[in-house]
Amino acid sequence: MTGLAARPVPVPDALSAPFWQAAARHVLTLAQCAKCHEVTLPPDLTCPHCHTIEPDFAFVPVDGTGRVRTWTVIRRSFLAGFENPFVLVDVELDGHPDMRLVARLLDGADAPLNIGTRVVVEFEDIAPGVAVPAFRLEQEA
Amino acid sequence: MSGLFKARNQVALVGFAHSKATRKPGRPLGVTALETARAAIADAGLTPHQIDGFVSSPLLPTTGDHAVEDGISTVTSNWLARHLGLDPAYVVGFQGIGQITGSLTLAVNAIASGAADYVLFHRALHLPPGKYNDNSLTEASGAMQWMAPMGFFGAMPAIALAYNEYCQRYGATREAMATLVCEARKNGSRIPWSAWYQKPLTVEQYMAEEMIIEPMCRLDADMPVEGVACFVLTSAERAKDLPHQPVYVSGYASGYPTKNRAMLHWTLDDMMHAGEGLSTRLWESSGFTASEIDLPQLYDGFSPFVYIWLETLGFCKRGEAHEMILSGGIDSDLPGTLPVMSGGGAIGNGRMHGVPQMLECYLQLSGRAGERQRGNVTTGLACHSTPHFGGAVVYSNDPS
Ligand SMILES: [Zn+2]
Repeated sequence: MTGLAARPVPVPDALSAPFWQAAARHVLTLAQCAKCHEVTLPPDLTCPHCHTIEPDFAFVPVDGTGRVRTWTVIRRSFLAGFENPFVLVDVELDGHPDMRLVARLLDGADAPLNIGTRVVVEFEDIAPGVAVPAFRLEQEA
Repeated sequence: MSGLFKARNQVALVGFAHSKATRKPGRPLGVTALETARAAIADAGLTPHQIDGFVSSPLLPTTGDHAVEDGISTVTSNWLARHLGLDPAYVVGFQGIGQITGSLTLAVNAIASGAADYVLFHRALHLPPGKYNDNSLTEASGAMQWMAPMGFFGAMPAIALAYNEYCQRYGATREAMATLVCEARKNGSRIPWSAWYQKPLTVEQYMAEEMIIEPMCRLDADMPVEGVACFVLTSAERAKDLPHQPVYVSGYASGYPTKNRAMLHWTLDDMMHAGEGLSTRLWESSGFTASEIDLPQLYDGFSPFVYIWLETLGFCKRGEAHEMILSGGIDSDLPGTLPVMSGGGAIGNGRMHGVPQMLECYLQLSGRAGERQRGNVTTGLACHSTPHFGGAVVYSNDPS
């Protein structure tokens, strides 16, 4: 945490509460439809795959690895609470084609990035009991 | 709907007025809107009491902390009609993104169906005091919880992500974007009501600008302004009795997201995919093909949108828009080019949404562009927003 203004915290609702509860434990989950078993994020009132109005989403853990589809370096954020510059990455999660998540990359503004660069989820604790997903470059094995 | 638009060339633009696009309006937006509306009605050779339809799109396009007040920060069709002292039969507003093309379809359909005979179509853009985009949000609920807590906020980062994917995939350079932005500013510098009138930009100036959301700089976004544009529409039949060459609506198409993603997560693939559908519908609806459009006017609220529209509408091959632009392919002063920014666009006029594109089609096709008049222009195309969250309209000055 820095001396900046507070970062915005997510306000869980009936649909999203299980996601943020898992995030607080540093576990990334996706919303899995009870009818067709496909996953999505964010959870919606219907399933975007089978369009049931009773998706009864279960939030299933994923390992949070993926590859960078694209990125941007934010040198001037329009939102209070972030120290500039920082990197946003758009990550396609392994095993879930087209399931993409935009979050911060925690390796600094000069991190070497290309389309396809491997990353893994890491959580930022932004308030007591509140953590949000971010990414870090995957270490070479 | 599929196939040719049933009202093809049966509804026409017959007059217009445009206020100054300005950073210092000095009076309430509603007053400017009333003055501009009266001027447009007179330009069409009509009187206010003949107007029986009002159509607009009142969204205030800021992300900052601003209240919405009719007549001050927005002007709805209801407000405008009431303050003109009228009681029109047909008053509607378009809700959503792609405001200009979306609301225009409401006006066209109203006239084609007979719901209204003469429609006043307007867009009033307010420049709120204080910071346009800065937001002091401390709690993110609803759709925002999936973006802001992760540092993802505002449209510019969303566009920068898609644009960088384009750059990485196709090798687009900053020089190509400099060429595009300077082309917009060159044309805007020739338009008296533009916020950039007599203020062209050089490639050197663009390249010296620091990137704020890589690979985008401040000049890749249109500058927020206050301004009002009004158009009058009527049937092709009624247009025969009016003073100006009518400009007919040949067809239109829109596109909307089909993927479930965070609110502003607009990916390059989603935009291109939606664009394929929009493009197919547009050419079916209008009865034209891309090669038959003399004057495409492509939306540039964020400069990378022009690449997406050029490619998705079929004006060049996928991945080649940046090369076409860099090699002078859109230069409005060279013969044989495709002058897609000849009206200056949003970057060359200020944030008037899709108005500059629509207005340039109207002015050139009606022969009213004055010193900027181009020869041999019979078909035009004006689009707004993106192919996956907006639309495009085809115009012609030949009703046959
Ligand atoms: Zn399902």
